[in-house]
Amino acid sequence: MTKTLADCKIGDTVTLTKVLDKQLTIQLYSMGCILGEEITLERIAPFGEPMIIRVEDSFISIRKDDAEKMEINA
Amino acid sequence: MEVVEKKEKVRLVLVGNPNSGKSTLFNALTGLNQRIGNFPGVTVEKKIGNLNLSKNKKAEVIDLPGTYSLSPRSEDERVTFEYLTNNNRNDLDEIVVIVADASSLKRNLLLATQLIDLEYPTILVLNMMDIVELNKQSIDVQQLEKELGIPIVPMNARLGKGVDQLKERLANFSYQKVKKIVEKHEEKDPLDNTIERFNWIKKVIAKTVKSEGPAKTAETTKKIDSVFTHSVWGFVIFLFILFLIFQAIFSWSTYPMDWIENGFMVFGNLLAETLPQGVLNDLLVDGVLAGLGGIIIFIPQIALLFMFIAILEDTGYLSRVSYLTDTILKRFGLNGRSIIPLLGGAACAVPAIMSARTIANKKERLLTIFVTPLISCSARIPVYTLLIALIIPAEKQFLGFNLQGVVMMALYLLGFVAALVTAWVMKYWVKSEERSHFIMELPIYRMPRWKNVGMTILNKVKVFLFEAGKIIIAISIILWVLSSYGPGEKMAQVDHKFEQMFSENPHLNKEDYSDQIASEKLEESYAGHIGKFIEPAIRPLGFDWKIGIAVVTSFAAREVFVGTMATLYSVGDEENTESIRGKMAKAINSTTGEKVYTKATGYSLLIFYAFALQCMATVAIVVKETGGWKWPIIQLVYMGALAYFSSLLVFQWFS
Ligand SMILES: Nc1nc2c(ncn2[C@@H]2O[C@H](COP(=O)(O)OP(=O)(O)OP(=O)(O)O)[C@@H](O)[C@H]2O)c(=O)[nH]1
Ligand SMILES: [Mg+2]
Repeated sequence: MTKTLADCKIGDTVTLTKVLDKQLTIQLYSMGCILGEEITLERIAPFGEPMIIRVEDSFISIRKDDAEKMEINA
Repeated sequence: MEVVEKKEKVRLVLVGNPNSGKSTLFNALTGLNQRIGNFPGVTVEKKIGNLNLSKNKKAEVIDLPGTYSLSPRSEDERVTFEYLTNNNRNDLDEIVVIVADASSLKRNLLLATQLIDLEYPTILVLNMMDIVELNKQSIDVQQLEKELGIPIVPMNARLGKGVDQLKERLANFSYQKVKKIVEKHEEKDPLDNTIERFNWIKKVIAKTVKSEGPAKTAETTKKIDSVFTHSVWGFVIFLFILFLIFQAIFSWSTYPMDWIENGFMVFGNLLAETLPQGVLNDLLVDGVLAGLGGIIIFIPQIALLFMFIAILEDTGYLSRVSYLTDTILKRFGLNGRSIIPLLGGAACAVPAIMSARTIANKKERLLTIFVTPLISCSARIPVYTLLIALIIPAEKQFLGFNLQGVVMMALYLLGFVAALVTAWVMKYWVKSEERSHFIMELPIYRMPRWKNVGMTILNKVKVFLFEAGKIIIAISIILWVLSSYGPGEKMAQVDHKFEQMFSENPHLNKEDYSDQIASEKLEESYAGHIGKFIEPAIRPLGFDWKIGIAVVTSFAAREVFVGTMATLYSVGDEENTESIRGKMAKAINSTTGEKVYTKATGYSLLIFYAFALQCMATVAIVVKETGGWKWPIIQLVYMGALAYFSSLLVFQWFS
């Protein structure tokens, strides 16, 4: 099974390989989070979401259901 | 090279990613005071200003909401998109000034390349060069200019560094065709197009940007966040901050408020004595001054409230609160982003409702707009303060805390809880299939700029004074007229009755009866008749006809309540020696002979003002933001019913 961002632990740095939702892809891309980009999972809020990811030097929040749509390569 | 003839005036359109410093630059260019804050989505509507570029060249500047791309996902981004794609403006030559945050150039260049390829005449501002320097990065501006093919100006908009250079280059701007960066059509496959753009941008950045390791600002932000967004400490800190704000507004500010109150009393007496007796004297002292004084004493509280909000906005902390509260708010049909309107609602619902534009999901946005007016706004502060002081003795304690403070806090909590519960109910009622996201950039922490904070306070106090002041003066005057004159001979008959009584009983001291005469005359005045007319409807809530008048006038704005009370209780009061609170405390119901402001009436009135939508400005903005009358009417009726029945319950329970 392919891993998604939602399976990651805090501190993991991974590469984004595929995004399963078109609308989500557009949003992520426009914020500089594109395929092949390195993503670090910085923190997870209580109850498992939202999380903060770091892409280059920007911090971006994202909910769990969206993270589940982001396939990664550890 | 194709050079188009230049006009005397040009239009500059500021476009860029959220939080890149567009409004800061706008202010630096125009000298205006647009709202600035360190979180994405501060500006949500178009703003216009003017400046001189050179001796004979003027410019109009347009500040727009920030956007990440030209495919808008929320209302604020749509404003920018629509402005850019609307081609009906041929009156002036335009230059698109792309404002980029140079400290995260890669992301910021995406929008820049899109705008260049759409053949807008562009100039690029590399803002936040101080951060670039701090992060030990360097940008080869000349090389970047060559790669992009457009003029570039490095900038520190906060300090105004680079503004003159920008003006100079704008004054000498030449409209020429620029080579396309990505030839492929955007519409066909926007995703491929974006990837191609980023590939190009990465190559260019490799050539032009030098950096040593990860950015220092990002590392610092990460450290601060390990405390402020901590699963436990994050919430503790947030509650502590709220408590601190509360403490400051409702306890520290009592000293300056007392000074202002006393000052007004002295001034009123002075005016009453120096001006010749007569109608003008009465109007000024009893009408206008009483109405204004009632509101001016709240300036310290308003100033403190706005100070804290400005500091929170400027540091970047608000985005962290969004992050912390998203899961909770999600359960109530809202979004982490809703916290900005909700907290903003504590200041004023009007800008707060506008800031809901950043919420992309339509249903979440609607729910946020609907519940924001339930948050106690600054206009309720005067009402709460006055009534609480009236019904609760200052020295009374509750579990070791000052009871007045506890009640005040309870009212704020009540508003917040009502907002959440309302949203939760509406969640099931309003249907939507649209998916909801919480994809939001958390900006780096910044020190607040005290000048900006100071200007914000000054502006807000000014608005509070002049906007509220205008309404209050107008209403005070109308009210004074309505309460000084009455239909027919009724008011004269009251005078007559008492004169007769005095002549029949010469030993009576006229002074002792002045209050009674005044109050009987007020009852016979026009205002008295209006109040009497609605009294049956509000009697179950414990309100008498004077309160009825205030409830009616408060529809213009809530703070008018205090002014109305001041005017109603001043008309006919010869001495003018007492504060409104003192006069209200002594008020006696003429039919029952009991005190008007009992605990039951006081609490009932407090609840009424907490819930009722008595604000025309809010109704107007909801009409605008929801695009029709449906929602504001539902809101008005809902909040009215909530206020009425809650007050009814409270009054019956306490009496
Ligand atoms: N260090 C630094 N901070 C800046 C500079 N310019 C702006 N800022 C800060 O960046 C933050 C965002 O500024 P704004 O002017 O509100 O940004 P904006 O682009 O109008 O943002 P939106 O309206 O949300 O799109 C504020 O905290 C500013 O004080 C700069 O040159 N250097
Ligand atoms: Mg702005």
